[in-house]
Amino acid sequence: MGEVLELKPMKLFDTKDTTDLAVFVRTSDEELVTWNRQKIVDALIRETFLDKGTAELISEEVEKIILKSGITVLTAPLIRELVDAKLIEKGLEKARRMHTRLGMPLYDVEQLIVYPNKENANVPHGPEATNLTLAENIKKEYALLNVFSQDVSDAHMKGDIHLHDLGFIDRPYCSGQSLEYIKKFGLSLPNSLAIAKPAKHPEVLLAHMVKFAAALQSNFAGAIGWDAVNLFFAPYLEGLSKRDLKQLAQMLIFEFSQQAVARGGQAIFSDINLYWEVPKHFEDVPAIGPGGEYTGKTYGEYSKTAKEFVKALFEVYMEGDGCSRPFFFPKPLVHITEKFWNEEGNEEFLHLICDVACEKGNTYFVFDRGNTAKISECCRLSFKLEKSDFEDAKQPWKMRYSAIQNVTINLPRIAYEAKGDDTKLFSLITERVEIAVRAHIQKRIFLEKLLSQGERGPLALLTMNKDGQPYLRMHRVSYLIGMVGLNELVQYHLGQEMHESEFAVKFGLKIIAHMKLLCDKFSKMHNMHFVLEQTPAESTAYRFARLDLKHFSEKAGRIVKGDIAKGEIYYTNSTYLNVSHPINPIDRIRIEGLFHPLIEAGSLTHIWLGEKRPDTGAMANFVKKIFHLTENDQVAFSPEFTTCLDCKKTMRGLLDSCYYCSSERVEGITRITGYFTRISSWNKGKLGELRDRFRSKDYF
Amino acid sequence: MILFSAPTCDKCSYIKKNFNLKELGIRVEELTEDNPEGLALLAWHGLVKSAEEGLPILVVEKERLVIRGQDNIVRYLERKK
Repeated sequence: MGEVLELKPMKLFDTKDTTDLAVFVRTSDEELVTWNRQKIVDALIRETFLDKGTAELISEEVEKIILKSGITVLTAPLIRELVDAKLIEKGLEKARRMHTRLGMPLYDVEQLIVYPNKENANVPHGPEATNLTLAENIKKEYALLNVFSQDVSDAHMKGDIHLHDLGFIDRPYCSGQSLEYIKKFGLSLPNSLAIAKPAKHPEVLLAHMVKFAAALQSNFAGAIGWDAVNLFFAPYLEGLSKRDLKQLAQMLIFEFSQQAVARGGQAIFSDINLYWEVPKHFEDVPAIGPGGEYTGKTYGEYSKTAKEFVKALFEVYMEGDGCSRPFFFPKPLVHITEKFWNEEGNEEFLHLICDVACEKGNTYFVFDRGNTAKISECCRLSFKLEKSDFEDAKQPWKMRYSAIQNVTINLPRIAYEAKGDDTKLFSLITERVEIAVRAHIQKRIFLEKLLSQGERGPLALLTMNKDGQPYLRMHRVSYLIGMVGLNELVQYHLGQEMHESEFAVKFGLKIIAHMKLLCDKFSKMHNMHFVLEQTPAESTAYRFARLDLKHFSEKAGRIVKGDIAKGEIYYTNSTYLNVSHPINPIDRIRIEGLFHPLIEAGSLTHIWLGEKRPDTGAMANFVKKIFHLTENDQVAFSPEFTTCLDCKKTMRGLLDSCYYCSSERVEGITRITGYFTRISSWNKGKLGELRDRFRSKDYF
Repeated sequence: MILFSAPTCDKCSYIKKNFNLKELGIRVEELTEDNPEGLALLAWHGLVKSAEEGLPILVVEKERLVIRGQDNIVRYLERKK
């Protein structure tokens, strides 16, 4: 609450020393105090380090303005604005920045409270959501003024780059977790009123997992992914009946999908990594079971139970929720390693997960070819395991990974600025990557300041130390550099989109190779792990297109995708081919897959199915081809649905009215970036993309 | 033909030393931090992961052939001499 000053002007004009006047200040402590000009002086000295004489002078001048204005009710923000205006007048810009007030106009707050925020389709509209958004807005301003240098902030404001999750400036971005941590150490959270020992029963382990995920959601900006969930649950599940396994699977999925009560009423963006085969790096690892005790067996020996549990999970995904809709969270990410193809029952399991992909679209296919192993999460982020991680795999509770921040580069703008000049184009890319690197260094410094306060600090959970190292292992974090609109960069620079020629694809590859090599170079230089990621860009692809249309109208007007008249515009996400181009899905997967090995922190190809329900066998063959014939890292198949808000039935395709009861109160559902959500919550850019998406109806 | 090679790769050096690659019509792409074209070409041929596992790699575009490892490449080039 802001302070309110109530002036009694008659007396003010009578005297030079206003300190004694009967002017009252209503403070945020709900107390009335008398007006005291000295407070301006004190604030200026405390916050800006101005000398006392200048501070006195400014306070007197501000007081005169107030008195002359005849204002009867004065707010503290207004006094601060008047002081700031005086600072500008006197050329004291640095002091003004330090003295500035963070906040929002009344109009904006009203808009936020009354109307939904469409920046993130996973944030509902409600009092908790508006609390979240209001807080985020203040933190965004704080970050741009106080965490990042002016050049970095300006680059963000202009739209050269996008600093993601500025509203969560005081936390890392996304994370990959291990269930082994809570199996071994129980649930003991900072500020918690009770400490739980390691779970002895599967239902308790699940309760710990869900609570821990909620706690982690309060400490990370984005997704919470869990590694090898079916395998790590397995020691708790031996001897359970098929019915009990299914019940537990159902509890797990509903617990995560109904968590729309936590941060801002937002469901936890959660992912579960699943395996049919026991991945090589866990085969010989001693298994932890009930009570946090070693069971005397290795995880390799729990293969059968892990298989039964993952099957149960997919049976639940197949059924969908109470309205037969697909579950939005947790996203099931099935890793397919080389070993998968020789594993007993692989055909049957492949059919099951393909059946779910065809029917509900949930299955994410993650391809771990050769010796690659990774933990995946978010829309496509993955942490590739390195040599030291395979050593950590022997004590899997250590396998906790995080990305500290994501900075995305507006690629089409670089093409506009380069005006067809190759040298300038590459030099501008280098410049933008350098800005992203600076942004990462500044965020790291800020986070380290918070982390250094340890268990009494704001990130206490991330500093808890139960295994000899802080929960957030800063030595193993990544710093993400993303890209939006490679297709439009190539289109503007060469006059061809990437689907139009081999030359255009090769040029696109050169851009991404250049960015990757820069990441490698800066990683060595700063001893930080900079990696490329395909930014999900749910709102960034729209933001960049909007800004470019404003500042580079003539050029961007020919390039942006979508419907300019309706304002439903966007750039093609990351390294994707034009979403509207009618291309055979295997060609899309193959061509887009060429970029994937250069993008270490995760890439994905979407195949939009529309209302079509492909044949399961055809889909299974298709997945085999993807694994064996392409370099593609991850693939998701996305059907579209309509749910009737009256009769609660769910139908295939996006319909205007209910097929069963003819009600027009219907809601469309499909995948926005990496997750399913209601279309009514999408921003304009994504709506434009949805209209353009080419549905692969005739290929399965 | 393209030979993907790296400056620190002994097996690559062996091939470069023992064959007149230019005469055989082979272009050498040194995979260094200053060569995005080389990396892009490697990606175009779908060989980034293979290269991480080991170099040299010879791509014979006309025959749509990829030959991995020093011994296999040497054998192939001996036949071409």
